[in-house]
Amino acid sequence: MFVQALLIGLWAGLAGIDQFNGLTHIHRPIVTGPVIGLILGDFTLGLMAGATLELVWAGMVPLAGAQPPNVVIGGVIGTAFAIITGQDPAVAVGIAVPFAVAAQASITLIFTAFAPVMHKMDVHAKNANTKGIDHLTYIQPILLFGFFFIIAFLPIFFGAEQAAEIVSLLPEWLINGLSVAGGIMPAIGFAMLLNIMFKWVYAPFFAIGFVAVAYAGLPILAIAIVGVAIAAYDYFIQDNVKPEPVTNTQTTIDDEEDFSDGI
Amino acid sequence: MEYNNQNEEVISNEIQDPSTEKVLTKKDLNKMVWRSLLLQSSFNYERMQGGGWTYSLIPGLKKIHTNDHDLSNALQDHMQFFNTHPFLITFVQGVILAMEENKEKRETIRGIKVALMGPLGGIGDALFWLTLLPITGGIAASLSAEGNVAGPIIFLVAFNLVHFFLRFFLMHYGYGMGTRAITVLKEGTKKVSRAASIVGMMVVGALVASYINLSLNWTIQAGEIPVDIQGEVIDAIMPGLLPLLYTMLCYWLLKKGRSPLTLIGMTIVLGLAGSILGVM
Repeated sequence: MFVQALLIGLWAGLAGIDQFNGLTHIHRPIVTGPVIGLILGDFTLGLMAGATLELVWAGMVPLAGAQPPNVVIGGVIGTAFAIITGQDPAVAVGIAVPFAVAAQASITLIFTAFAPVMHKMDVHAKNANTKGIDHLTYIQPILLFGFFFIIAFLPIFFGAEQAAEIVSLLPEWLINGLSVAGGIMPAIGFAMLLNIMFKWVYAPFFAIGFVAVAYAGLPILAIAIVGVAIAAYDYFIQDNVKPEPVTNTQTTIDDEEDFSDGI
Repeated sequence: MEYNNQNEEVISNEIQDPSTEKVLTKKDLNKMVWRSLLLQSSFNYERMQGGGWTYSLIPGLKKIHTNDHDLSNALQDHMQFFNTHPFLITFVQGVILAMEENKEKRETIRGIKVALMGPLGGIGDALFWLTLLPITGGIAASLSAEGNVAGPIIFLVAFNLVHFFLRFFLMHYGYGMGTRAITVLKEGTKKVSRAASIVGMMVVGALVASYINLSLNWTIQAGEIPVDIQGEVIDAIMPGLLPLLYTMLCYWLLKKGRSPLTLIGMTIVLGLAGSILGVM
């Protein structure tokens, strides 16, 4: 288990850097899931756990600076526990969330504690010492790597077997209940998206997307294509109506101003 | 977005070397695109991305300001509070570098920088967090859920094609734009975020219907006849009714100022209750 915990820690460290620097999104559960699966020897289960966790974190993105439970730790611990304990990924969500919340709280602390470094940077800036600024820039990514490594390594190394035992002692209703809750949780992510995006002018498009799946069962990509088509139509129509002072268009534009100010 | 008054005094408007030669090459700009990946490397709650933003500009600033006094002024100025969307940063870089090269006044550069970072934050949220990520993540998750290894591969390729294309394109576009960028952006903001919102809202509507697993497993006896509440009552009213209602409830609670953590707690309680009562 030591080598596996080590590899998982290394991956978590890299993913932790990527979450804030680089942003290639190797840190999302959809990628982390199969990687952890590979390390722990069950690639397919990792793939599926990654898909479940990806959807749970679909709306938990850093909108306007708000920090949701940490997606890296959620994805890594969630997948690892799903595989080690042989539980349904939806149950693993319940185990992963407390770790993810704790990780995010610690990151907030790091970001607070890092402010004094800026004053060191000020001195380098004053002396036109660009090398000095470069060197200070590399500190935080290294710190993040170490932090994510430890947070992922410890529970896997020390807790995995215990966690497996604890889960085997858990009563049926608890496991089933966590699984049900895990299935519902994407609703929170979508509500968070709506909290930022929702305006009454866009409500019809939400309805179209919903009905296309609920009644017609269309795949998401098909709906995205229809969405692009409607958006393109709307874009060109707006160009055409611009010269006329139609009151309707006017309200739409006012709405848009609110939209960009609101974020 | 307040500036430190002390620093304000230190950073003078005086430019010792006013030559406005074009010194930046395409190669220089590309180099700074790679540096922009470390925008949040010094993130902190005092200046946010200020340090990483300065870091991303260093090769250009060094080439433009060969005079140490001017370079020091520029570095100190950029070291102030800065925060924008990490994916659209290169556009600001391009515009600001064009202005630096043209030896614009420090206060003009600062003004443009601050004016750009806000609206770009909004556009970036709409484009990346609310459109590109849900779409690529949603499609990839539906593949992965069936055990198809193409899921993560498609996700990384599709996401990063858009991501890196925009990074490089926006740098050169912004640089070409120079000072004219502000007006162009003001015209573009509304249309871009509107189009992104239309696609985004349709996708969110579709995700609500497909990815929330909330249904009742509950049969009651109506006299002699067993009635399956989910199959015969709820689905008859509308398929996906419960996921829709629960999403609306969460949305309403968020509007009321409840935190996502409260909602997670509420959802766990609901799942446990449904499990104990044997109806979910």
